[in-house]
Amino acid sequence: MIEMKNNIVSFANNTVTQKRPVQLSVEHVNIFYGENHAVKDVTIPIHEKSITALIGPSGCGKSTFLRTINRMNDLIPSARCEGTISYKAVNILNPKVDVVQLRKEIGMVFQQPNPFPKSISENIQLPLRFAGVRSKKVLKQVTEDCLKQVGLWDEVKDRLDRSATSLSGGQQQRLCIARALALKPDVILLDEPTSALDPVSSAKIEELLLELKTSYTIVIVTHNMQQAARIADYTAFFYQGELVEFGTTKTLFTTPEKKSTADYISGRFG
Amino acid sequence: MIKNRTTSNAGSALGSGRSPLINEKSFFARLTDRRSESRGKALIYCSALLMIIAVTAITLFLTLQGLRSFVVDHLNFWTFITGTEWYPDRANNPSFGAFPFIFGSLAVTFLAALIATPIAIGTAIFMAEIAQKWGTKIMQPVIEILVGIPSVVYGLIGLSIVAPFMRQHFGGSGFNLITGAIVVGVMILPTVASIAADSIRAVPDSLRQASYAIGATKWQTIWRVVIPASGSSLITAIVLGMSRAFGEALAVQMVIGNARNLPGSILDPAATLTTIITLSMGHTTTGSVLNDVLWSLGLILLLISYVFIVIVRYLAKRGEVR
Repeated sequence: MIEMKNNIVSFANNTVTQKRPVQLSVEHVNIFYGENHAVKDVTIPIHEKSITALIGPSGCGKSTFLRTINRMNDLIPSARCEGTISYKAVNILNPKVDVVQLRKEIGMVFQQPNPFPKSISENIQLPLRFAGVRSKKVLKQVTEDCLKQVGLWDEVKDRLDRSATSLSGGQQQRLCIARALALKPDVILLDEPTSALDPVSSAKIEELLLELKTSYTIVIVTHNMQQAARIADYTAFFYQGELVEFGTTKTLFTTPEKKSTADYISGRFG
Repeated sequence: MIKNRTTSNAGSALGSGRSPLINEKSFFARLTDRRSESRGKALIYCSALLMIIAVTAITLFLTLQGLRSFVVDHLNFWTFITGTEWYPDRANNPSFGAFPFIFGSLAVTFLAALIATPIAIGTAIFMAEIAQKWGTKIMQPVIEILVGIPSVVYGLIGLSIVAPFMRQHFGGSGFNLITGAIVVGVMILPTVASIAADSIRAVPDSLRQASYAIGATKWQTIWRVVIPASGSSLITAIVLGMSRAFGEALAVQMVIGNARNLPGSILDPAATLTTIITLSMGHTTTGSVLNDVLWSLGLILLLISYVFIVIVRYLAKRGEVR
């Protein structure tokens, strides 16, 4: 059994050895869309400065769960959420929480690259402007820093005034990551960030995420199990709205406790 | 026995003891029989052709008629469009200065756009962003009804409500440039609002999500992301409204006061290209100088309308490239 799994996944040397403190503590979270119970009683710790991957077949609730962490589900009128997600000793699911402030600390990157149809520099400066930053010097400095962080600076430094939509798909996605970094959030949520990209661009994003995890907590939803195995420190397997198994990536991929986890990661379903 | 022309061939093939499939002639005939299609094609081509002929004919006719005043009646084109004296009936030395009407038309159009645009964009944002359910269920039909109200009704309301209001509060007769602009502004409001709402709805949801995800409020999302993203189509909506305002005759004529002089302020009565044509055309004789001059005014009207269309096209094209 283990041999077979080793055929399909290869681990990078990134697997954590020492346990990091918990940044987000998710306890008994239930999410409903109207009558539909989409996420059922999920409890997982999300560790600081590490990558947590959420895997599972389509419709298993992993994206829904991700979008609850920065309350993006509030935009769907029928969505309802129970339980607690503690972040800096605050339950962020509390209706009194200001989602605008929350999203400044917990950023998000989407499946389809969605840069604003504005210039490259404006894309990164807009979050700062929303937060009230006016100083031109700061705006310029942050633009440069963020683009350097995602490795886009050398590619675009001569055309910062060009439209962001003129970039390639992979570049656009890295720009979106840079945009999410502009406000220096603690947590970055990524919803299948590479599924719309070609393999080379995907590899670049994966490398980038490995670099970013030294300063940010990263939660990534992915359909690609190899991707989870390559970059994630922790992996959570979702199936039909339930959290089937959570553990370090190495444990989950080599010695899964549950049969359905083993079946899924060996490609027997999903 | 009912046979159409394709089976009649196949039938004779069967008669000779061969399968209809290997009867190449009939199979070929069936494959190549496109008579019904060509008939439909001809019909559609004819309608398109008719349309093109109509537009070309109108333009051509208006051009020929409109140029008569310069070619046949030897009026100076320059003094015609810049002159401010409009005394076509003066027995000796009649003068045809069309500038007050060109100015009146443009002034009414721009003032109407100025009045209608903020309200229309606000309505569009309300319909498309704030109260989507309410917007599509109630506002949209209401706006469609407003678009369908005949302009004479707007004129009547202007005549009996807006003009007396202006008279009471600003003096004068109440029939003036700004009254005309208000009436036309209200008239184009639903057109602009409905096109603007469509263009706001066309902004992909992914941009709104991106905006919320970087900690934008609803207003920041609307003003800094959604409106800029729908920018060129919003301007298209405004220009389309303006072209409607520019061509409007009846409602304007009922409230603008119809003065031949260049208005000194927005509270002075004025006239537009359309109102002067509708007012004067009835009592001219074909071939008279005044008749020719009115055709020239019509030609100017058409040319400026074309300019509006060119602007809309240009903006639409620019929107695509982005």
